[in-house]
Amino acid sequence: MNAEPVIQIEKLVKQFNYSTVIDGLSLEIGSGRIVGLVGANGAGKSTLLRHMVGLYLPDKGRCRTLGRDAGKLSPAELSRIGYVHQEGALIEWMTVKQLIRFVAAYYPTWNEELEKEFVKRFELSLETGVGALSPGQRQKLAILLAIGFEPELLILDEPAAALDPLARYKFLELLLQIIQDPRRTIIISSHILSDVEKVIDHALILDAGKLLRDCPFDALQEEFERLRITSLNGRLPEELPLSGVIEYERSESQAVITMERLPAEELERIAAEHRFDVEVNPISFEDIYRIVVERQNR
Amino acid sequence: MIFNIDTHGGVPIYRQVIEQVKRQIVTGQMEAGEQLESVKNLAERLKVNPMTISKAYGFLVQEGLVERRRGVGLFVVPMQRERRQRLKSSMLDEALRRAARLTVQMEVSAEEASTRFAEHLEQIASQKGGVQRTKRGSQSGNRKGRSQA
Repeated sequence: MNAEPVIQIEKLVKQFNYSTVIDGLSLEIGSGRIVGLVGANGAGKSTLLRHMVGLYLPDKGRCRTLGRDAGKLSPAELSRIGYVHQEGALIEWMTVKQLIRFVAAYYPTWNEELEKEFVKRFELSLETGVGALSPGQRQKLAILLAIGFEPELLILDEPAAALDPLARYKFLELLLQIIQDPRRTIIISSHILSDVEKVIDHALILDAGKLLRDCPFDALQEEFERLRITSLNGRLPEELPLSGVIEYERSESQAVITMERLPAEELERIAAEHRFDVEVNPISFEDIYRIVVERQNR
Repeated sequence: MIFNIDTHGGVPIYRQVIEQVKRQIVTGQMEAGEQLESVKNLAERLKVNPMTISKAYGFLVQEGLVERRRGVGLFVVPMQRERRQRLKSSMLDEALRRAARLTVQMEVSAEEASTRFAEHLEQIASQKGGVQRTKRGSQSGNRKGRSQA
């Protein structure tokens, strides 16, 4: 693995019309990571990603990509980065086939085998004019053009948003194939959490231009848990002897509690002391995301 | 080896891999000296991030269930009888505790519950076919069982 981070952002601030979209954000992404950038629409995901490829320049702070100021990336460095975004401009008058050949010609690293497989798997119609493609077909083509040259850094901004469920599934499958190369760094933004949870190893939760989480995905999944507590002697105490409770619902003898994870021994101790029968369950990524964001905005 | 990975239930994938390999070892479906599938193969097959598999394997090595032979791969380590027994019990406990809880909640007598258990045991041991269906939402407060404070 490279010692130098692929992305290095320090105290980045970006404003549009006096409204702050990125609010003093710092971040480092190491080589070989598969990073999920999640957040609501308007959280600043696309703005952040655009800084990484130099499409936006910071108002304050800095953003370095592949070791260079992102605004000064040379054509050679840019050719190591694949970038798929939502309103990608494509050359409308070419056919799909012509555009693929046109783009491929720029990259000595273009992988024709991957191209063929992609065209087949996603049923891209090669003879159709680019201008006549449906949004879903267009998105598939944009993805192919960004991954075909095997970039070492792949930035995918809501790549699956325009795809139907089956195409999304196929795309994720393809993505999983692509990530098997350990040298490749992938940053994928989405507001559809179920799309990313299978592939990422690192999670970034962005809200109102700030990072609320920047941690391994496994750690995030284990940050909270849901307990179902049943009193074995009939009544739960008025005040439950637990700290870190986020949400709860209870009756006289039962409670369902979402809380910060407690060490197993401590939970055992509490259960024995108060005669609780406790069932511990994990919570879904959707719930984790909601909890993290709601706590911040409380 | 067959895995059953659930990506939406909230249990980290590496934990599911650890648990399932462990179960295979404890139940003897994987034997001492047997080689584990390579990280790359398994990641491709399960369609998950390879780092997830390395992490799971790392834990299995740490727990002394498998060992790394340089340049060859990972192999199942022979397990002491007591340890196997301990692991078996803890796996069984999880299911039994759930059954016991349900028994008490439904106010079924211990006697009745034991009889039923014996019947199930008998049915499976004598190789009669049967179906167990997990009803959605029956595992309390699991998935989307939301509750607001």
